[in-house]
Amino acid sequence: MKKTLALVFLVFLFTIQFMNSYGIQRFPKPEFESGYVQPETLLPNPRAEVLAILDIAVLIISLSVVSWLVIKKRNRNGVFWMSLFALAYFGFYREGCVCAIGSIQNVTLAIFDKSYLIPISAIIFFVAPLVYTLFFGRTFCAAVCPFGAMQDLVAFSPQKLGSRLNAVLGVIPYIYLGLAVIYAATGTDFIICRYDPFVGIWRFNASFGIFVFGGILLVIGIFIARPYCRFLCPYGVLLNWASRFSRKHITITPAECIQCRLCENSCPYDAIDIPVTTKNPESKGTMARKLIFITFLIPVLMLAGGWVGSKLNEPLASANAKVRLAKQILNPVTEKNQAETFEIQAFKSAGKQQRQAFAEASEVLHKFYIGSWILGGFIGLVFGSLIAGRMITKHQTDYTPNKGTCFSCVRCVDYCPVKLPLITK
Amino acid sequence: MQNRRDFLNLLCRGTILTGLAATTGVLAYRSVKGGNCDLGTSCNNCKKSESCDLPEAALFRQTVWQLDPTKCIQCGRCAENCVMSPSAVKVTHVYAMCGYCDLCGGYLKPDTKNISTAAENQLCPTSAIKRKFVEDPFYQYTIDEPLCIGCAKCVKGCGAFGNGSLQLQIRHDRCVNCNECSIARNCPSDAFKRVPANKPYLLQGIEAKPEEKNKV
Amino acid sequence: MKQKIIIISALALLLLLIIFMVKDFFFNNPGNTNPYQFELDNIRKGDSAKAVFAETQQIKTSLEEIHGIATDTSGKIYVSGKDSVAIFDAKGKTVNKFRIAGTAQCIAVSENGKIFLGIQDHIEIWNNRGEQLAKWASLGTDAVLTSIAVKGENIFIADAGQKVVYRCHIKGYLLGKIGLKDPATGVPGFIIPSPYFDLGISKDGNLWVVNPGRHSFEKYKFNGTLLSSWGKASMATEGFCGCCNPSNFAFINDSLFVTSEKAIERVKIYSADGTFLCVVATPDQFESGTKGLDLAVDKQNRILVLDPVKKMIRIFEPKK
Ligand code: SF4
Ligand code: SF4
Ligand code: SF4
Ligand code: SF4
Ligand code: SF4
Repeated sequence: MKKTLALVFLVFLFTIQFMNSYGIQRFPKPEFESGYVQPETLLPNPRAEVLAILDIAVLIISLSVVSWLVIKKRNRNGVFWMSLFALAYFGFYREGCVCAIGSIQNVTLAIFDKSYLIPISAIIFFVAPLVYTLFFGRTFCAAVCPFGAMQDLVAFSPQKLGSRLNAVLGVIPYIYLGLAVIYAATGTDFIICRYDPFVGIWRFNASFGIFVFGGILLVIGIFIARPYCRFLCPYGVLLNWASRFSRKHITITPAECIQCRLCENSCPYDAIDIPVTTKNPESKGTMARKLIFITFLIPVLMLAGGWVGSKLNEPLASANAKVRLAKQILNPVTEKNQAETFEIQAFKSAGKQQRQAFAEASEVLHKFYIGSWILGGFIGLVFGSLIAGRMITKHQTDYTPNKGTCFSCVRCVDYCPVKLPLITK
Repeated sequence: MQNRRDFLNLLCRGTILTGLAATTGVLAYRSVKGGNCDLGTSCNNCKKSESCDLPEAALFRQTVWQLDPTKCIQCGRCAENCVMSPSAVKVTHVYAMCGYCDLCGGYLKPDTKNISTAAENQLCPTSAIKRKFVEDPFYQYTIDEPLCIGCAKCVKGCGAFGNGSLQLQIRHDRCVNCNECSIARNCPSDAFKRVPANKPYLLQGIEAKPEEKNKV
Repeated sequence: MKQKIIIISALALLLLLIIFMVKDFFFNNPGNTNPYQFELDNIRKGDSAKAVFAETQQIKTSLEEIHGIATDTSGKIYVSGKDSVAIFDAKGKTVNKFRIAGTAQCIAVSENGKIFLGIQDHIEIWNNRGEQLAKWASLGTDAVLTSIAVKGENIFIADAGQKVVYRCHIKGYLLGKIGLKDPATGVPGFIIPSPYFDLGISKDGNLWVVNPGRHSFEKYKFNGTLLSSWGKASMATEGFCGCCNPSNFAFINDSLFVTSEKAIERVKIYSADGTFLCVVATPDQFESGTKGLDLAVDKQNRILVLDPVKKMIRIFEPKK
């Protein structure tokens, strides 16, 4: 009985082997008579998986040390050396991959695509800096993020931009974040990684375009400190919001601000809020009118943004490979003696049905439709809050770092003449 | 006033922390448990079978990029689109599938008049394939990896005339494992995918077991 | 003033970067030219001019995979494939179709109408009503049977896996092995890099076997003595291309060879001494990548080409 079973199984195996249409894989190789030994196909392993633990450990330790330096020690030198270390480890050694900024996309993709297995290290790189920021402010940006460290090094002659310009340019990261999420969620592309400016420099190996991209950004960074952080970084948006609710945060003065204005120009990033004391406070009436205006404005802007976004869903989706393929099937290249595109060739040789390709494309399009409504609404909200923020004057008596935009770099601290030992005496 | 503000802060902080914790928990649980297959089942039985290529559960399972040679149409973009230059994609010779042919379709240009190993007869633009006589009429072909630029010309030749023993693969000693492989988004045949790092090759015809030491 | 200029130019650069990103993302589709194009098309085209045959009929088969074709003396056409065998009359009407177990890679029909199927590693004999008459033992675990020819009591079986031809008695016992490498008698041995290995029996009662790795035909006596061989490796129309070709052949007019090749999919006719005569079918008539164009010639000297990709029998006749 067992024998027959085994036989049946053998026969079964043979049929499987034979059914395989990709050639007969175990087709006997030549019978060599000269004692030739077939070499082994060498397959080098990727980086060992356990080393991910090392990355995580370095991240957590750096975050802790930098937070301690910022909050407890208020030591710019220490922060500076830590940032060099971050640049060396996360930048040059890890070549910019795994990074917190890019991990936004991994997390998004993992949420929307169940078949994508996100490595635990990517989750931690996304979450840990946010958690630290919720407690200590953006200490991650101060000296753990290699992008920040890189730009911090070249900020030789930072210029003040003025609050209006800062606010307007500050909208770009929100749009970037929204696009990054939409493209990651639809499995189209990881745009943050695609336009990662410094990765070429860290790898000493990249296409010319990426080198130029990184180079130009560094040149800008001489005059506008940390341009990527302030006007592009999508993770900065999340950190900004986390930092606003942080439990502790760097303060310029260790005790009480004496209004000496010495620190006023110390921040290269325009992140110090200067005191605002309005002589005649607004009447209750104007306040109420402003509030009503804003409560109307924001939903209107969101709706308008959503509507505009939904109109843009097709151009947005045209970056998706499935949509592109469907388009190419619909309008094949008609020019003479031009071969059909590789996409069409691949589609044909894969033996897929046109119907299937169209179905897949329209599914993606639908996702983009919903996504672009949300994205548009989100951008409307951002603009609305921008306007609202500028309409409502906040009262402020001291010089303080803006909790949202301050990178906790500890530069301003040295400018404050108030020193702690003096006070405690 | 100050108190109310602190309380609001605490509330927001708490909410964000809870949200982060929940996301982490769900994603981490999923990734530790192993993936869901396309069928939408989360069974644990079939995962152990040979045909299932879902990664086995492991706490620090990493993924790497690899291309599926059965999908590849040899478009040449692998040579041009990698962030590394030359590309981290190179041809891999599966000796177990090779016919050891004298007239190798992957080695010689198809219109070669008389068979000789002169450079102008070689298909490879960088002469990365080396030919060695074994015994009549067999020749062994080896890849000089540093020279190969991953252009897939030989892959096409071998597939058309021979057994398909030359196959493109991402070589993990060169690949820096970008978060999103920049060839993947340009590959017309959607051949690239993330694979678990403990099974980093997708070759046809051999049990793809990495042999060399890990790169650090 | 100076500060303003610096700020404005820096911002302009920033804007430039953003424009670059947008442009690159939305308008930079990967190019459609391959600088490393493998030029096969020219060679494929080169053959097209020389065809003197025309395709006159196509017979669709309803089999899932088709692998072997044969004809009998009455003009019926037999096709073997995955799990089934189909029989057509000369006009293409299905006469019978029956199920078998496994995939029959090759098929032959004897003068008395028995159907011989090579299924992976063993032979099965059926009649045209779909009844199994015999099933032989396996020829070995490595066996990959790719061709059968029957003549009287003798049946010849090509085994690409073990690179040998078996001569068997029609009752099922082994009479001898042909083509094993033997420097004493000058038998070179078969070089078979891929599973395409065909044989046939010519009118004069000799066995012809393809030696694909040497791009040649070898002529043997039934007892295994090598008589002669011919063949030329070349990409040009006159020769056999690639690493191992021709993949299949058949006899026409009892003495001419009809050959088929893979890689450059073409069907050609050679004289008995190996002189190239003409082209029957050109590469552009097949999907590129078609492998295993099995051949047969029927009573009316029509050439039947089995197209495994399009899953049909394609019939070629001389142009008027
Ligand atoms: S803003 Fe972004 S790029 Fe800048 S330091 Fe922070 S995380 Fe890094
Ligand atoms: S710590 Fe001070 S100098 Fe540094 S970013 Fe914050 S406010 Fe600016
Ligand atoms: S890009 Fe894709 S189709 Fe082109 S050569 Fe590479 S794997 Fe093959
Ligand atoms: S032909 Fe191209 S893929 Fe093949 S070995 Fe040469 S460079 Fe590498
Ligand atoms: S992951 Fe990066 S290095 Fe590796 S093959 Fe893709 S582009 Fe090249």
